[in-house]
Amino acid sequence: MKLITSTLSCSRQGFVKTVKTGLLATVLAFSGVQAYALSELNVAQGSDPQNLDPIDTFRLSWGSIGSNIFEGLIQRGEDLQLVPGLATAWEFLDDNSRIRFTLREGVSFHNGEPFNAAAVKYTFDRLLGEQGQKGPQRSNYTSIGSVEVIDDYTVEFHMNQVDPVLITKLAGYGAMIVPPKYIEEVGEEAFDRKPVGTGPYQVVSYEPSVELKLARFEGYWNGTAKTELVNIRFISEPATRMAELMSGGVDISLNVPNTSVETLKKNKSVDLVTVGGPTVNMMRFKANSGITADARVREAMNIAIDRDAILNALLGGLGESIATAQGELSFGNDASIKKYPYDPARAKALLKEAGVAPGTDITLDIYNSDETFREISQVVSSYLGMVGLNLKIRANETNIMASDLIPNGKTGELFQFGWGGWTFDFDNTAYLLYHSGERFNPYINDAKLDELLEQQRATYDRDVREQALQQVAGYIREQSLELPLFNLATMYGVSKKVSGFVPAPDDRVRYMNVVVAE
Amino acid sequence: MTAQTEIRTTPAWFSNAMARCRNLEFVVGITLTLLLVGLVLLAPVFFPDGGESINLMARLAAPFAEPGHPLGTDALGRDILARIATGGKVSFVVGVYSSLGAVVLGTILGLYAGYYRGVLDTIVMRFADIQLAFPFILFAMTVIAIYGPSLERIIIVMIVTQWVQYARIVRGSVLALRERTFILAAKSYGQSSAKIIFSHILPNAMGPLIILLTLNIANNILLESSLTFLGLGVDPQTPSWGGMLAEGRNYVQTAWWITLFPGLAIMLTVLGLNLLGDWLRDQLGKSVQ
Repeated sequence: MKLITSTLSCSRQGFVKTVKTGLLATVLAFSGVQAYALSELNVAQGSDPQNLDPIDTFRLSWGSIGSNIFEGLIQRGEDLQLVPGLATAWEFLDDNSRIRFTLREGVSFHNGEPFNAAAVKYTFDRLLGEQGQKGPQRSNYTSIGSVEVIDDYTVEFHMNQVDPVLITKLAGYGAMIVPPKYIEEVGEEAFDRKPVGTGPYQVVSYEPSVELKLARFEGYWNGTAKTELVNIRFISEPATRMAELMSGGVDISLNVPNTSVETLKKNKSVDLVTVGGPTVNMMRFKANSGITADARVREAMNIAIDRDAILNALLGGLGESIATAQGELSFGNDASIKKYPYDPARAKALLKEAGVAPGTDITLDIYNSDETFREISQVVSSYLGMVGLNLKIRANETNIMASDLIPNGKTGELFQFGWGGWTFDFDNTAYLLYHSGERFNPYINDAKLDELLEQQRATYDRDVREQALQQVAGYIREQSLELPLFNLATMYGVSKKVSGFVPAPDDRVRYMNVVVAE
Repeated sequence: MTAQTEIRTTPAWFSNAMARCRNLEFVVGITLTLLLVGLVLLAPVFFPDGGESINLMARLAAPFAEPGHPLGTDALGRDILARIATGGKVSFVVGVYSSLGAVVLGTILGLYAGYYRGVLDTIVMRFADIQLAFPFILFAMTVIAIYGPSLERIIIVMIVTQWVQYARIVRGSVLALRERTFILAAKSYGQSSAKIIFSHILPNAMGPLIILLTLNIANNILLESSLTFLGLGVDPQTPSWGGMLAEGRNYVQTAWWITLFPGLAIMLTVLGLNLLGDWLRDQLGKSVQ
């Protein structure tokens, strides 16, 4: 505050600047950083998770923030390889019923609290207990029975059941290690707004829906972040976000819409950086009633659409057409499953064989907020029109679609479905989409699929699991139970001034090594 | 004395200019309106595909860059001119039907409320107050979120929210008219209330209604465009001006023609109707008073 009053006589601009630096100086004072010429990185992303507590969220918008603040026992880098994080080693004991982790020493949280076995136990007790119950992350980790502290730097996980994806999940949101003392001191609500972790950046200030300011954590165990300050702004309107990027208001923009690809490619000060992502775009069938109960009709619709033409013309070729609801990077993907060919003549023949009269009306439900898919669906409608199906598109409000139409089975013959299989393990997608009784599976009830899906969940044997998952994918393809479209690339707009940016396929961007040239 | 006379007299050149302006208002107004109505009416003849044929090979073509696409094509390779002509139908249908619906409902309620007063008047006018206090967009979004978007629902929402202004104007006129001697005379002859309301009061209250109607049509065309722009309007496949604007906004930097032309169409239509409304007001103004 002294800094501010002493510069009141400065020009307005200088004043504002000094206030800014002054505040930051106060914030950073304890870490002994010089408060002038701080390097800054400005980032825009489409949405705000509204809550920074890792166990309260499942949004990608948290991933691009939380991955800079928190760390888990296991880390998954941008190359999707699992590497030691806060645990240096782990071993499976007693026929896989226990997993023992050796923890990293000399790590501390942003508030100075030490990282140790007690913190790990606290983290998982909190996740699996009452507090975790309130959020969406807990259900991913219920295979863990309890966590036992062996000594200060050794813990053991006692498993309730076999969980082949556990090690991957320990790199996931819910397993981010949190500081016990800090949470007990400030309370859960304060932690949602200003969380503390062991990551390379700490939270300075957070204004929901507007901006989050991060500052470098000088006590980070794994090197030092190259840029001192990271400001993450939440700009929900895609056109505004892109305008900010192109005018230099932000250095990196996440969530680049496909509709802006050409604009960015033509821009001289910005690069479009892409990487294969986990998100699949598809349409699913109302497979238990109406004309779509007939596998021939479903196949006909699948082969009536020229996916590659849409991909190349509309989406700038930034993605892959897919045969099943997974991309090439996914565990359980079977490269031998053939993509649907584009064969309108055969589609017509199949429809005729199934007794579907030309000009039959069918309905597709889409999310009204997804502009890219709005365009895709109109092209799909024109393809289906060519084989004699009259597709009506119904654009729905997001919440109505996700919490009413789909779970309650009230959709049209087709409905839009996007799925981000963040574990890159087909189990995460297949179980929730094809196992009977699951929330997002209102229409498929197949004993064979249920059996295969349960079978692969009961073993750690990779080969058995992979085979079962591939069989699931093969069966879905054979029965044409859905209409897979694309595995779209994850896109980032990055200013040419930026170096050291590595695009993350799962939106878990880390800004530690990013530098902005002056 | 002389000073006063000078002030009272409007210079001849000024009143001439005003008259010419009014004339110009009328000419421009009627030309724009007829031009756009004509384009929309003839759309099925010139563009039998309704602007719906997709051609991914010719997407984002600039105006005159491709044969057959004088105003260019959009992101799916559809002809902009065909879509503007076809999409205008949605705008005019919504604008005209919603305004007519509102004027009929509002006039009837206003006439009866003003003529009979009492409980009916209180009920109708309190309803009107509630309606006026309720933001239109909120109401529209709620209805459309619950029942899903469709053309009929947009029209109904507009009627439900806009009858109020007509009811209030008509009621005001009725209150003044019902005490006039010719109405009292009709009453003393024993004419029925319905006859008095519709053949004596209504014709005398028509002037302001017609003016408001023209302005209302223009206003509702704008509202429909805004609703569709927000994704609350007609379905994505039906071409409409607001929808075209929304689709084109992501391409503004590379393909300005997608947004410019439907934007111009909206602007010119509203301008034309507003000019006509202004002119009508000036013409009817004398008799209305």
